[in-house]
Amino acid sequence: MTLIEEIHSTTPIHRETDAGGLRGLRVRGLHKVLGGRTIIDNLDLTVRDGELVSLLGPSGCGKTTTLRMIAGFLAPDAGSIQVHDREVSDLGAEKRPSAMVFQNYALWPHMTVQNNVGFPLKLRRLGKKEIEQRVDAVLALVNLLHHKNSRPARISGGEQQRVALARALVQEPELLLLDEPLSNLDAKLRVKVREDIREIQQRLGITTLIVTHDQEEAISMSDRIAVMNAGKIEQFSRPAELYSRPETEFVATFIGSLNRIEGALVNGVIVPGDDVVGIRPEDVVFTLHASFDARPAVVERVVPHGHFHEIYLKRDDATLRAFASGLPPAPGDRGHASIQNALTFRQGRLVTTTRVTA
Amino acid sequence: MTLAPTRGSKRRAIATPAVARRPLGFFLALPPIILILLFVGFPIVLAFAFSIGLTGGLNHVIASIGLNVHEAENWWGTPAAYIEVLSNSRILRDLSVTVGVTALSTVTVIFLALGIGLFLKLRGGRIARLLSGLAIIPLFIPVVIASWAIVTFYSGDGFVRSVFAQFGVEAPVWAFTMVAVVIGSVWTSLPFAVLMITSGLQAIPNAMIEAARDAGAGFLRIVVSILIPMAFVPILIAVTFTAIGVVGSFTVPYFTGPNAPNMLGVSMSNYFSAFNQPQQSVVMAFIVFVIASGIAAAYVWANFRSAKDQGKV
Repeated sequence: MTLIEEIHSTTPIHRETDAGGLRGLRVRGLHKVLGGRTIIDNLDLTVRDGELVSLLGPSGCGKTTTLRMIAGFLAPDAGSIQVHDREVSDLGAEKRPSAMVFQNYALWPHMTVQNNVGFPLKLRRLGKKEIEQRVDAVLALVNLLHHKNSRPARISGGEQQRVALARALVQEPELLLLDEPLSNLDAKLRVKVREDIREIQQRLGITTLIVTHDQEEAISMSDRIAVMNAGKIEQFSRPAELYSRPETEFVATFIGSLNRIEGALVNGVIVPGDDVVGIRPEDVVFTLHASFDARPAVVERVVPHGHFHEIYLKRDDATLRAFASGLPPAPGDRGHASIQNALTFRQGRLVTTTRVTA
Repeated sequence: MTLAPTRGSKRRAIATPAVARRPLGFFLALPPIILILLFVGFPIVLAFAFSIGLTGGLNHVIASIGLNVHEAENWWGTPAAYIEVLSNSRILRDLSVTVGVTALSTVTVIFLALGIGLFLKLRGGRIARLLSGLAIIPLFIPVVIASWAIVTFYSGDGFVRSVFAQFGVEAPVWAFTMVAVVIGSVWTSLPFAVLMITSGLQAIPNAMIEAARDAGAGFLRIVVSILIPMAFVPILIAVTFTAIGVVGSFTVPYFTGPNAPNMLGVSMSNYFSAFNQPQQSVVMAFIVFVIASGIAAAYVWANFRSAKDQGKV
């Protein structure tokens, strides 16, 4: 399929071949030890055809290492990497069917935007005319035709980012890899560029793997998210599920905000115990008047967050954080706080989700 | 100075510090400028005047001692000395040898330095670090000593020939030939070129190379299309400094080269002291100066162009 055709096809394509084979990316038993430390520990990961998956995790969890092994810049100690059913782990980066967008864009400063984007095609010994056509098509896709003859140093960070994306897309890769693609952009631009990336990815139906440490970015862009910690995938599921049903305590604390209290939840009250109770702040409800499952609470601290406030509530069993929109209470205010939902973890793993209903 | 808002002189002093400091800055820069003008600039002007036959004034003494001095009969001078030098077949041979040795040494030095730099950048490891370290050693060995070492190494009874003779092979005598001069020039120029080029290559982010590999570029492609263009300015600096250094070199050709033809630096010395023809010597010096200026101009132009390309100017 040529790029021009892909641009005009609007629906994302999800293909999965029947014979047990899988288009997209399949990683099995990936293992990497660096300097005596296990960086990647027997990692399995499957990205379906046309799907966008984020590798999300704190610094040093091995997400970039994983991406670099998939891209071919780092040799794994063990494991297999298959792209569209083809084993690529023995191939060098230059021979792999993947294209990467680098964190700092890695645009070559001595080439114009056009030459940067056209470079991969030039290496494939395509004709001048065809290169120009395809470069123009992809630059139009990322809205940068007017900067065709500019040098990277002359355009803004967001534009450089899009050039880097165009340079990857022009190769019509079977797998698109993005390494922290938005981390160098300011907050406003980040939201816009991530929407652009998602939109183009869906339009072209490219299998995509993104590395990020920003949960908001991962949640808003991805079909599925793999949360990584210490070289392992803690949980691999849809964004909503990741938030509502975190399988481990790590995921629960890493994604979103969490009241983490040691003990157990019995009839809406925290009692001492060996487990860990996790309560999302939005599941803590603060009211001025009493209700049957609410307990008296005093407002200790109010932290403004723009369109909402984070309030610290002291109950006799625990201190809870809650979110309040509208006019916030003042510190010292007395009222009642109830817990609507809670997650219970035993030895780091989710055992029950409790829903307290009126 | 107090922060109290006192109107008047104090306030004015705060408002115009840069303007107030301007004459002071100029004054501070003056001593070195005067020093250079007096001890370098003035002699150059005098020498140039002498070379075009203006033999009066301060040039009077040297003109009366020197042999074969062309004197101008008017105030604007005469090109007679230049015509004589440039039609002297011996000096022309020296000139072509100078240009040849400079070109050959520069190419060799840049080739070696690039090799070491690329090895260090793309492969790294202990051997690469060792090589780049070894290449710096000539910097710490005086040129005179190195030149003598080269002469004794390649001389008729030198190390190379002795070793080959053990196996019944007659090795060539390179001492006192242009080969030894090229070897010596490479030896003296290598450290700077290696420092310049390796640091230039090391400054290129690895992501630039990885991006090229990701795009499908092999080793040669990365070197030609990414690394050399991106390290263009340091490479150019290495080229010009090496070339200018070799063009004006004296010690290496004097110790290791033949009597004739030899490089202009040696000829200049011969003409100045041995042949007592200072005017011809000065003319040669200006010819070398013109060559070096040409190289420097190429350097400035290319540097400016690359800065412009990258949007810095």
